[in-house]
Amino acid sequence: MQDIDRTAPPWLAPLDHPADEGVTVRAPDLHTLFARAAWAMFWCVTDPGAVRPEQERDVWVEAADREALLVRWLAELNRVHQTEELLFSRFDVRELTDQRLRAKVAGEPIDTERHALYMEIKGVTFHGLTLAKNEQGWTASILFDV
Amino acid sequence: MNRNDLNQLTEYLWEIPRTGKMRVPGRIYATRALMDRILADQAPQQVVNVACLPGIVAASLAMPDIHWGYGFPIGGVAAFDMDEGVVSPGGVGYDINCGVRLLASDLTADEVAARLPTLVDRLFKQVPCGVGASGGGKLSDADLTDILTQGARWAVAQGLGTDADLAHIEENGCMQNADPDQVSAHARERGAKQLGTLGSGNHFLEIDRVTEVYDAAAAEALGLSVGQVTVTVHCGSRGFGHQVCDDYLHRMDQAAKRYKIALPDRQLACAPLGSPEGRAYLGAMRCAVNYAFANRQAIAHRVREVFADVFGDRGTPPALRTVYEVAHNIAKLETHTVDGVERTLCVHRKGATRAFAGDRPEVPEAFRRVGQPVLIPGDMGRCSYVLTGTQQAMDQTFGSTCHGAGRAMSRGKARKAARGRDIVAELRAKGILVKGAGRRTISEELSEAYKDVSEVVDACELAGISRKAAKLEPLACIKG
Repeated sequence: MQDIDRTAPPWLAPLDHPADEGVTVRAPDLHTLFARAAWAMFWCVTDPGAVRPEQERDVWVEAADREALLVRWLAELNRVHQTEELLFSRFDVRELTDQRLRAKVAGEPIDTERHALYMEIKGVTFHGLTLAKNEQGWTASILFDV
Repeated sequence: MNRNDLNQLTEYLWEIPRTGKMRVPGRIYATRALMDRILADQAPQQVVNVACLPGIVAASLAMPDIHWGYGFPIGGVAAFDMDEGVVSPGGVGYDINCGVRLLASDLTADEVAARLPTLVDRLFKQVPCGVGASGGGKLSDADLTDILTQGARWAVAQGLGTDADLAHIEENGCMQNADPDQVSAHARERGAKQLGTLGSGNHFLEIDRVTEVYDAAAAEALGLSVGQVTVTVHCGSRGFGHQVCDDYLHRMDQAAKRYKIALPDRQLACAPLGSPEGRAYLGAMRCAVNYAFANRQAIAHRVREVFADVFGDRGTPPALRTVYEVAHNIAKLETHTVDGVERTLCVHRKGATRAFAGDRPEVPEAFRRVGQPVLIPGDMGRCSYVLTGTQQAMDQTFGSTCHGAGRAMSRGKARKAARGRDIVAELRAKGILVKGAGRRTISEELSEAYKDVSEVVDACELAGISRKAAKLEPLACIKG
């Protein structure tokens, strides 16, 4: 298993928060942003590189607006992870509007021999949530209650 | 925000005057030194945000351990009128009824010393902790429903404790008017396998010894004396409570718009107390409160079993009596006197602990002369405290006080500070055995990652909102 200090991909920056964990994610388009946000959440939990994308799940969420949709998407992935003891490493966002998301995700059951588990995310929060377009594409910042 | 934005009302009480959309002032309890640190983060702005919520009564309060949370600050207390006010899941937190139980043994530190490593190993095996830990079995739907309505009483009925435990738990271990019909299938799924587990992060099981008594009368009433070994359990409602919070934050996000409640922060999502959404949340929250009570009762039972096993040559098993158990993430309907009038209010405590004066009917008979016990955990390298509630808390903070030390640095910074160090060896050199389910947890939980709980507790005592009874220092700590 990897060391406790890991290198993040260039599009992911951990946020410094005294009580919780958070990430800022950048992407060229919204589909990729939502996929990378999910990957980033699992990067907080484990090393996604060690998670084999062997089992697929369809995920479908709805929300009132784009920010809420991002929170619901991540919250649903966290719920499946915790309830079914699965880890995910591949996120294919197939349909995305401001209110709906449909994706196929892939991962495998938790294997404590191969998967380091760094933290348990209690919830995906709205606090400090940002989701914005800029010249380079899209950026999102999300805080997780741990 | 800076010091010029505050009025200093007393040496330990600071007011953010009511301005703009604030309906009440903000009031922060802190020493000058703590206040300097509090002003360095965004927590005072969160006190202001809470002050804008409809129906808030008297003031948006903050305890000396206040720090930046989401929506409500951690260390925040806010009470709402039953007709005009709101209830907010963010004012309780994801870990509904995260709380602390204190067990007092009939053992001394000397008697425990030689067996401490064995105790730690066995507790680590018998009390599941860490990310992904489960309780070793899946609760049936019927059992889970009973737990949600009966709390610790369910556990006692299964033989996992006695009525003497229940009498010394806040709400007698069972919050009334829990409504399992308001709980989602998802929450039930998450709770089905986690009863009896500690969780991870800042949750712990600790063996301590009483090192100082400050209030002899209180210590006598609590049955605590210097040299005595105690056990502290700090955990909450696990995935069950997290899912209840998540479900209702989503629902309240929509409800706040429908009820035209202007929110300075979306995480303050709320609904009127009397609304279907408000009543549903309270019914579900009470289920999570009861799950946590049952969880800590189940863990206390395992602790007793381990002690009985390790001290099996003693003839009679060591006694591990429940001193008290408190909740520090909860919303409760309570009666308080406001401007001379008795009112029922919905009091939100998020990272704050009830600290009732002794004459309140909710306080067990044994503590009527001294006040309700309040359990304040510190960090694994320093100490914890047992306090008692006061009349001044009743008068000023809806009977509330702090809940712990609060983090001083992020987990990332803590890991950096721990780099190249052997934290377990450092603690062993201080006479403290530590065992963690994850190597990262120990680094993230090192002492300097936390504020000094002694400063926080002293501030509460100086402000008059609780009184020190005894100090506990760790002998061993188990973390998830």
